Amino acid sequence: MKILGHSFINRKGAFLNGKEVVSCPENEAKFLRHIYKALEVNYPKFYKMDTLSKSVILADFILSPTYTDLTEQEDKLQLLFANDESSKRTDLSFIESYVPKEAASPSLFVYTLPNILTGELSIKHKWYGENTFFILDKFNAEFYLEQIRMSFSRGNEYCLCGWIGSVDKKNEECFLFLLSKSEGEVTFNELENILNTYRNE
Amino acid sequence: MSSLKENLKVQIIEQLNLEDLSPADIVDDAPLFGDDGLGLDSIDALEFIVLLDSEYGIKIEDPAGAREIFYSLNSLASFIESNQK
Repeated sequence: MKILGHSFINRKGAFLNGKEVVSCPENEAKFLRHIYKALEVNYPKFYKMDTLSKSVILADFILSPTYTDLTEQEDKLQLLFANDESSKRTDLSFIESYVPKEAASPSLFVYTLPNILTGELSIKHKWYGENTFFILDKFNAEFYLEQIRMSFSRGNEYCLCGWIGSVDKKNEECFLFLLSKSEGEVTFNELENILNTYRNE
Repeated sequence: MSSLKENLKVQIIEQLNLEDLSPADIVDDAPLFGDDGLGLDSIDALEFIVLLDSEYGIKIEDPAGAREIFYSLNSLASFIESNQK
């Protein structure tokens, strides 16, 4: 297998293959909006999304120049995503919408599952492959590599993997990486090092 | 009318959970639904129905006419002004 590219977003900015593409001002509360505007993305649905989907749509936009081998209606691509708290933030907002106000919010309800973001990606690109979402304590490179190997052994040609979690339950981050089933091997250390380099930017 | 529109913008952002939008991002005569405007969809139409009922005491009697009412902020504000008791 081979890594075709990777992107990363956190409160400091947005990155593609290790290079900064957007820098966020310190203490920018709406950092996802800042990145959206800076990249001049035109995807109005962005504003409706929960934080998980917004992060992934932006990281996907940044990573998209590496999608040259993928086709529309690609069905040999598996989406393999994970985070550390499922859709907890939206779930809590949804509860708030119907406990005191007694009016459950339909627009929040539709994001009360974490794997909605894989649907958002599939709809955006018209991808028809498998998708999976795991809940993990933290980013686990070995786990991802095991899942990727199994995916390739089932006949998939590509895996778009994502970690939309936090560091120490505080600092949000979104890490995307695209792999192809080709000669060579990706090691646990290689993946860990890519993420740690971004975290230390 | 202009204060009604400004209030509506704030209420839409809150009701539809559009937290990364500011009132200035909502253009009065731009479509609210579809990719040419705010990208809203049928789920958000439900939110508008709730908003009209809870904030203005207006019930949509004819769902078929909702498309026209919800077209833009201008059309929504005109409908409220004509129907508020």
